[in-house]
Amino acid sequence: MITTSLRKLAGAKSAGSWLISLAMYGLALSWLYPFAWMVMASLKPTPDIYTTSLFGGQLSLGNYNFLFSSATKLNRPFLGALGISFGVTIAVTISVLVTSAFIAYALARIAFPLRERFRDFLLLQMVVPTMMFTLPMFVLIKQLGLINSYGALIFPSMMSGWGIYMMSQSFKGMPQDYIDAAKLDRARLWHIVLSIMVPLNKSIIAIVALFTFTGTWDNFLWPLIVISDVDKMPLSVLLATFSKHYGVYVGPVMAGAVLQTLPLVLLFIFFRRHFLQGMSLTLK
Amino acid sequence: MRAFIGEIAESHIGALLALSYLLFSAIFWAYPFIWLIILSFSDWRFFDAPIFSGLHNLVVVLRDPEFWGGLWNVVRFFSIYFPIAFVGSLGFAFGLKHVGRGKAFIALCFLLANISSGVAFSLVFTKLFSSTGPFNNMVFSWFGFRIPWMSNPNLAMLAIALVVAWKFIGYYGLILYSGLQTIPKELYDAALLDNTPPLKRLVRITLPLINAQLIMVLVFTILVSFGIFTEPYLITGGGPLGRTNTPLMIIYETAFRRLQPSHAAMMSVIVAAVSYLLIRITRTLLEKDVKLA
Repeated sequence: MITTSLRKLAGAKSAGSWLISLAMYGLALSWLYPFAWMVMASLKPTPDIYTTSLFGGQLSLGNYNFLFSSATKLNRPFLGALGISFGVTIAVTISVLVTSAFIAYALARIAFPLRERFRDFLLLQMVVPTMMFTLPMFVLIKQLGLINSYGALIFPSMMSGWGIYMMSQSFKGMPQDYIDAAKLDRARLWHIVLSIMVPLNKSIIAIVALFTFTGTWDNFLWPLIVISDVDKMPLSVLLATFSKHYGVYVGPVMAGAVLQTLPLVLLFIFFRRHFLQGMSLTLK
Repeated sequence: MRAFIGEIAESHIGALLALSYLLFSAIFWAYPFIWLIILSFSDWRFFDAPIFSGLHNLVVVLRDPEFWGGLWNVVRFFSIYFPIAFVGSLGFAFGLKHVGRGKAFIALCFLLANISSGVAFSLVFTKLFSSTGPFNNMVFSWFGFRIPWMSNPNLAMLAIALVVAWKFIGYYGLILYSGLQTIPKELYDAALLDNTPPLKRLVRITLPLINAQLIMVLVFTILVSFGIFTEPYLITGGGPLGRTNTPLMIIYETAFRRLQPSHAAMMSVIVAAVSYLLIRITRTLLEKDVKLA
């Protein structure tokens, strides 16, 4: 009786399918174990973390308190780093979204000279391994006098060839009628892009936004190279240096890990539907 | 006439928009690229002008045992990571096909690992793998010993591979799943009528028809093997004895710790060229244009 209702719940047909479904649910939940462990560890005093069971032990916000007050005295200003991470990431994401949307519209919908060459150029850029550019990009940033500045974190990522390409692929599939109708109403370019293309291509925009946000927020190598001033470090680098020098404070390190993860998880949960739809678009 | 003027203006705007990106690329893509080439063939220590030194950097880099060690570590990482990621994501894709309700929930659980922070979870897994951590406590209570994750070179590499696999299996799995979705059900019905055994169905029908997605996953695993930095840097720091040092870590150390940017530039060029060539070779050898009927 219970099995049949469970089977119905899983919507599966045969007993084999039912077992596989159950295994998949189990795996999916076990995939979340590191998240659960991180959150629980961040709420326990350091000595209890390894000795108590996952959900056992005294829970408190002491580690977060430590991170925002005591760590500043250890020259690890986490509150500032959190602000820097948000500022830089939001600036980059907005810039990438706006520039990608307009340039993608041009690429998909406006006939301009050498348009196909431009598309080829974007594809070429995506094939060239990006790891080569880290070192010479440092040289450029040094020549521009931007070492240890927020500009070093923002300027090199303000546009994205990948973002332009993905959006233009999605824009191409739209019926021309929408655009013609808007043009009859003498809509300007920014109006066509912002109030027609963007609302009708939410999924791909969500994907570009999410990957840009995550990539910038969690970038580690680049800020590690260009920022050495503790007061200007984004959270990812500050957390790593904190863990390197004060790794024995397991609780506060885990609290920092939660801070570093939380915005990404919230954004993901918020945009989950668009994200799954967009994934199927990028996989075409 | 009015429409004509409008169209001219529009094509100008289009060209201007494209130009803005080209300008950006000139500064942040082409200019660094030229510097990379200059640095690779000159002697430079972050100050003054670079002095042309011919193939000197190439000779130095090719004689550097640490650099070869880093490339060898790519092979070691790939040979552990690829089987785990490949079997895992294939299992995920087939498993997901059998799930009735809650497909999206399962996919989202796995993808959460993919979009979450590499920095944070490198630290979390370091604690999980530590000798008194929960994984080892479980192993100890069952078998009475602890796994020396960080002091054994192969186990350290396995630890990194497991963390990276945890991150990517959902993503790869979804790629394969999208391939499985495109296979028409009639093919399997026909195979069932012919009494084709399951293994033969897998090898003769399923795998060839998701060739494109399999190659995509293979290419991604190669790219990851050459490109990992955060995980080994934070989990093992390259140790023990440099056995988990990756090319990116060596390039970083060479440029910014040993202050030899021109050697590091030559290393970047070599590593990028090797990874690019490997991917081209993989594609030409394995990519088949499979068409239905």
